[in-house]
Amino acid sequence: MSKSYFDETHCAIGHPKSTFMQWMLTIDHKRIGLMYAAVMFTFFFVAVATAFVMRLELFAPGAQFIDGDTFNQAFTLHGVIMIFLFIIPGVPAVLGNIVMPLMIGAKDVSFPRLNWFTFWLYILGALVALASLFTDAGFADTGWTFYAPYSLNTGTNVIFTLVAAFILGMASILTGLNFLVTIHRLRAPGMTFWKMPLFVWGIYATAWIQLLATPVVGITLILAIMEKYFGIGIFDPAKGGDPVLFEHLFWIYSHPAVYLMILPAFGIMSEIIPTFSRRTIFGYRSIALSSASIAGVGYLVWGHHLYTSGMADTAKVIFSFLTFFVAIPTGVKFYDWVATMYKGKIILSTPMLWALGTIITFTIGGLTGVTIAMIGVDIHLQDTYYTVAHFHYAMLGGVVFLFFAGLHYWFPLVTGKMYNEKQAKIAFYLQFVGFNLLWFPMFIAGYYGMPRRYFDYLPEFQIYHQFSFFGAVIFITGLTYMFVVFFKGWTKGKPSGTNPWNATTLEWHMPSSPPPLENHSKVPYVDFEPYEYHHGEPVVKFDYETMKRID
Amino acid sequence: MDVNNTLSGFNSMAATFAADVDHAFWLNFWISIVLGMTVIIPMFYFAWKYRESNVKNEDISNNSHNTPLEIAWTLIPTALMMVLFYYGYTSMKTLRTMPAASESITIKVEGSKWKWKYEYPANKAGHVHKITSVYDKKIGGVKRGLYVPKGQKVILEMTSPINDVIHAYFVPAFRMKEDVIPGRTTKQWFEADKVGEYDVECAEYCGTAHSYMYSKIVVMERADYDKWFESSAKSPFEDASAPALSKGQSLYEDNGCAGCHSIDTDAILVGPSLKGIGAKHDAAYLKDAILTPDKVVPEGFYPGVMPPFALPEADVAELVKYMQSAK
Repeated sequence: MSKSYFDETHCAIGHPKSTFMQWMLTIDHKRIGLMYAAVMFTFFFVAVATAFVMRLELFAPGAQFIDGDTFNQAFTLHGVIMIFLFIIPGVPAVLGNIVMPLMIGAKDVSFPRLNWFTFWLYILGALVALASLFTDAGFADTGWTFYAPYSLNTGTNVIFTLVAAFILGMASILTGLNFLVTIHRLRAPGMTFWKMPLFVWGIYATAWIQLLATPVVGITLILAIMEKYFGIGIFDPAKGGDPVLFEHLFWIYSHPAVYLMILPAFGIMSEIIPTFSRRTIFGYRSIALSSASIAGVGYLVWGHHLYTSGMADTAKVIFSFLTFFVAIPTGVKFYDWVATMYKGKIILSTPMLWALGTIITFTIGGLTGVTIAMIGVDIHLQDTYYTVAHFHYAMLGGVVFLFFAGLHYWFPLVTGKMYNEKQAKIAFYLQFVGFNLLWFPMFIAGYYGMPRRYFDYLPEFQIYHQFSFFGAVIFITGLTYMFVVFFKGWTKGKPSGTNPWNATTLEWHMPSSPPPLENHSKVPYVDFEPYEYHHGEPVVKFDYETMKRID
Repeated sequence: MDVNNTLSGFNSMAATFAADVDHAFWLNFWISIVLGMTVIIPMFYFAWKYRESNVKNEDISNNSHNTPLEIAWTLIPTALMMVLFYYGYTSMKTLRTMPAASESITIKVEGSKWKWKYEYPANKAGHVHKITSVYDKKIGGVKRGLYVPKGQKVILEMTSPINDVIHAYFVPAFRMKEDVIPGRTTKQWFEADKVGEYDVECAEYCGTAHSYMYSKIVVMERADYDKWFESSAKSPFEDASAPALSKGQSLYEDNGCAGCHSIDTDAILVGPSLKGIGAKHDAAYLKDAILTPDKVVPEGFYPGVMPPFALPEADVAELVKYMQSAK
């Protein structure tokens, strides 16, 4: 039995004997990805629990069991964890780390020690963010957007959250830098950009956003800290500053950040659809280029968050016009994926179910985003539950669903085991039904004028909140069950073999399962397309000792 | 005035431009349904038609291009997006094109933690109506609102005190919303064409009592409005001959104190109840609590919640006197 990356590792410092220290100091990209996953999903569950507390509180009008201030801290905690600790680093840090180097035939990322440092920077950021929960003044109550001058005036501990977001931004920049260099320098010989798997394209487009957009939020957070403690007079109107400037600077980063979240997730979709259709992907280049153009145009549309913020009407028109051009490459991707299923052989395994479910939920999330790109309509819907429902359909029903799809897809690669398919499907259906019941009523409530971030509401909105509550119960049940299925799969699952899905990309051509420490035995030569099938079977076959083609 | 805490009049097309916004919304809705179905229906159909048990391996196609189809699914959605952009633009245009001041009533709106204040132009007698609108938890509704005549263009000039935070003036029934920003003046306008009461909500998160920052727009027949406007009554629904409030009590109402501090019961609305406050604290303390509230935050409450009130010395004295009188 050959050794896997669970048995041996390289460390940042020295050669520790204890297993624990080997994990703490590991520079192996697969182990780092797993540690990110462990930490991130812990936070994810904290944020889900916080959201559930809010849903309970909102079950009926009036105060139930928490007060307005606690509620405000709860939605801030939920937003900060979900955005900064989970969904921004999410897919790149977990699946990008584990899978991307394997997909391009590399031994590791370009800078493994930097990768290790980045992980611990992330942990530091997380600790700083949560530390304020245990201070007197309490966790920030600003919302994850930290709008000035509220964030400058409030008595809660905003400084911790601002510093944490800054540190986490730094970690994000370093991840992006590491991945960019890796993709440019460590692709296997012969693998041109047009032969990269589409997940690598997604990671690549995202890495540029991480590198170029994140510094803007870093600068903004520093300015906010300087304003709060030294009164430099840039955002606070009482000191001659302009709060709308903060909104602009904040969204110059935070809007591209939503593409940073979704692009690697779309990459997962592009891996799963051809594999479970047993055929090559339709429109490879248009999918790859649409990722790049979404990343590009995404920089120029931040103003659509400010249609009601006192921005000039001309600026609104320009931002609205540009926003519609993000919708088009996104739409093209969806047509390409559906066309990939045409005359394929559709195998409805769990990863494929998640991918197809996401086609439904993200289509709703995307098209409702088009609604609020229309200026006149957004003036009514801005800051209502419609917007809340839209971004949860796009983020949870898009990014997180595809993240889950990826977890199911690469689970056998990471663990060498297979989960119980039947149980995993039950978990999917529970979450899919719960999700729609949870979020769809909010579109209606928002259209009728239910504002977001409301601790209490007018009685006629009660019915929507109650549907949402029952949706949340079903969703969380499915979510918990999914992780139970994963846990059982890892501890008691059957060995999966190296390529259980009959997939084509390089991460499935490992000498053993789970993969050994330094991945492929030899660096392969890539003279083939990423998704070559013939009559439903992968075309390219390797001898896993020599990594020479034997087909 | 009859108060109730339901969202009044949403479907009534109460403002002249609401129909434009709804038209744009429903156009978007149907285009979205069509575009969404072009993705979701083929997906279900293919998943069924090419299901595992129904396809022989030899029949799988590896087709990866179809230029006419790809052009179609790029250009047709682009064209539809441009239609939506256009209607988004036109519906904004009516909302955002301010009418001439000469044919409108311009009312100053001040949003602050957690009340709305309205200031009208002077009437013939030179009286300036100043109305403070706060949500009253006890009655579960809004006391006083913005009174406007039917069929009249009204411009709202909105701002917030510079030591306050951002709010947003949102009228769901009129489909209008704009942020109210400290240190800036933003504007919006409307013309209501249906008599009734319409809820106003604060839509930009502003802290503890954000979800209680309601007001109401009351649309009246022209004659009723004129009768009130030329009088000096606080509202068209209050008896002008009722005994006048003491100076302190009326300051207490006009500054929206009652929205957060109950004075005749022990209830904690947002801040501490002021019942019997005179027995606990002296006048100097109460004065500090109004001018620099963060310096004297009582146990169990947070600094940063109550904004400092920069009132004239004499008004503060009256307010303190009124607070001390509350048993």
